[in-house]
Amino acid sequence: MSSTTDTSSNPAGAATGRPRTGGAGRTGDAPAGSARGKPGGRDLAKALPWIAPALALILGVVLFPAGVMFYNSTRDISQSGVDKGSVGFDNYVEVFSFPYFWPIFLRTIVWVVVVVVFTVLISLGIAQILNKAFPGRRIVRLVVIIPWAASVVMTTMVVYYGLEPYFGVINKFLVDVGLIDTPEGYGWTRNPTTAFIWSIVIAIFVSLPFTTYTILAGLATVPGDTIEAAKMDGASPARTYFTVVLPQLRGALSVAVLINIINVFNSLPILKVMTGSIPGYDADTIMTMIFKYIQNQHKVDVASALSVVAFLIVIVIVAVYVKVVKPTREV
Amino acid sequence: MKKSHRFGAIALAAAATLTLASCGFGGGSSGGDASGKTTLNLLVPSYSDNTQGLWEDVISGFEKANPDIKVELEVQSWDNLESVIATKIQGGEAPDIYNGGPFAGFAADELLYPAKDVVSSDTYSDFQDAFLANAEVDGTAYALPLIASARALFVNNALLEQAGVAAAPKNWDELLDAATKVSKLGGGVAGYGMPLGSEEAQAEAAVWLWGGGGSFGDASTLTIDDPANLPGAEQIKKMIDAGATQADPGSTNRSPLMDIFVQGKIGMQVGLPPTVGQIAENNPDLDYSIVPIPTKDGSAFTLGVMDQLMAFKNDDSKKDAITKFFDYYYSADVYVPWVQTEGFLPVTKSGAEALSGEEALKPFLDVLPDAQFYPSTNPKWSAADGAFKSLFGQIQTKSAQDVLTEIQAQADAG
Repeated sequence: MSSTTDTSSNPAGAATGRPRTGGAGRTGDAPAGSARGKPGGRDLAKALPWIAPALALILGVVLFPAGVMFYNSTRDISQSGVDKGSVGFDNYVEVFSFPYFWPIFLRTIVWVVVVVVFTVLISLGIAQILNKAFPGRRIVRLVVIIPWAASVVMTTMVVYYGLEPYFGVINKFLVDVGLIDTPEGYGWTRNPTTAFIWSIVIAIFVSLPFTTYTILAGLATVPGDTIEAAKMDGASPARTYFTVVLPQLRGALSVAVLINIINVFNSLPILKVMTGSIPGYDADTIMTMIFKYIQNQHKVDVASALSVVAFLIVIVIVAVYVKVVKPTREV
Repeated sequence: MKKSHRFGAIALAAAATLTLASCGFGGGSSGGDASGKTTLNLLVPSYSDNTQGLWEDVISGFEKANPDIKVELEVQSWDNLESVIATKIQGGEAPDIYNGGPFAGFAADELLYPAKDVVSSDTYSDFQDAFLANAEVDGTAYALPLIASARALFVNNALLEQAGVAAAPKNWDELLDAATKVSKLGGGVAGYGMPLGSEEAQAEAAVWLWGGGGSFGDASTLTIDDPANLPGAEQIKKMIDAGATQADPGSTNRSPLMDIFVQGKIGMQVGLPPTVGQIAENNPDLDYSIVPIPTKDGSAFTLGVMDQLMAFKNDDSKKDAITKFFDYYYSADVYVPWVQTEGFLPVTKSGAEALSGEEALKPFLDVLPDAQFYPSTNPKWSAADGAFKSLFGQIQTKSAQDVLTEIQAQADAG
């Protein structure tokens, strides 16, 4: 049922009503009344061949692994990977009774909020600059894509090695300008707090291109006459930005924030590289904890349970976001 | 309309979440025998850049001698090896032959052939008894020793001389004294390189805890949270507090730290036989010597590590092929060059004889009789190993007792 709702409804933003008339046209010679009144039955049968590949893909790539993940989370799977039968929700009990679970949970929230907020704020600025015409703008726009084009692991490794004591360039620089007084540098990636902060910096850096381009696309849709009108009325540039431009970026911003929340929440590689050598659980988020369950403790079952929990957390965050921000509401 | 958008957002969240969760499903090749050939799947870790080539040579030689058997090689990094094998087993795609560390869990799940069943009696009797004993679970060896390594203390002679230390330390007091003096030289030089980071924390832990008279237990019980392990743990803290180690030992990994030793910035660090080759290649001018690891009372001790080959029970028709492969591999002509190129110590009697004249291996062969091994036949060892890797480094900030308790708890829960 949801699939039919999905195909006949309008995509967000394009609320001109045109797709709906198009949809009615598609039903062809069927009586208009019955098509509108009972969209099920025949319509569905007609639509099925067209949407079947997409449905198969969703089933195979999204729902089936989700099912397996949930199934695994209720099993007792031995270290070598043999399924030893059902244990009900014991794995969930283990996840929640782990003494570091709540600190890890809070750290995950800090991680998501800080990275997303800074990414969006910085991107708003960059997008504003890139929206102005200046010589070489095309090149600068290309340069902004670079963090996106490079592999996240590669970008992280570059910073990681830069931060290494003894031979890292960042450490060497800080020693040479006199900010650090130990000659081998400071172990930035060896201490939970500094490693976590640097991870946040990298996460912001790699999230900027996508966010900037989404906002840039949003800026392109802001009609010039609204800005002109504001100017005519004598509004200051700041006032023009906050009361005319920003509200019209609502659609672009809400997409950027939503996708960033999900992306950042699920990000493993940055933290894995930056905090991987730190003992204990003082720099872990839920994602790195899932990884540690698999890699260090070989508990695929518990890792699955934590994955299910993570999945629910994302859904709750997204639901709250959609409810509070109402990204689909028209300006 | 609003509803459908929310559905879309949730579907998007689902898709994004699942990319991580579902990446454990890897494909594997099954024993296809279209041409009547038996196919053996071989999963091995990479010990060095030579590993893949060495195995390929073994396989091509073996296939020439046994044209009816085909061997498929898969080389993985040590980091991934254990997750790869777990995924394969879970997917019913276990390799026929696997080269790895802990195997007691596989034996407990009855996945392995007993060693006796997959090698000829000649090959079986050629293994050194101590190594074979270390591969036993309840009196039956389930794995074939492959290589051994022992550890010894690498000493930078120049730094020790500069710091006014006359002779390489033999016990903890001398070590602390020497390391503190070297650290005081300044200029980023550290006295003792102590890698307690996740890479191989269990090894450095064993060097100290066992050197103080402790142990990790045996095949049936793990005794990590044991008073006998406390002196070693306290000594680690003493070394750190005295500034005798490099900064942040709790989160320093072994390999990168060894590079710093090779560069001549660390006074002393525990190393392995391949370290000799590493120094020869990267800094041949380094003035160093190899001495036994200092212990609490100066008694001889080394941490021995043995890696094994094991054969998974997939299809009984493959058993003969596996036996042929092992017999071929352990013949001295094939095995000795293999071990030698990788820079490890041989586990066969014939191999030890062939290599007895090697200069670089001598310091290690000398300490090998005093080697103690991880309790790797304990089914919980794998969990304990993981617990050491992820928790032991906390000893830098937490109390020794707390760390040992926490590791024991996590190991027991595994």
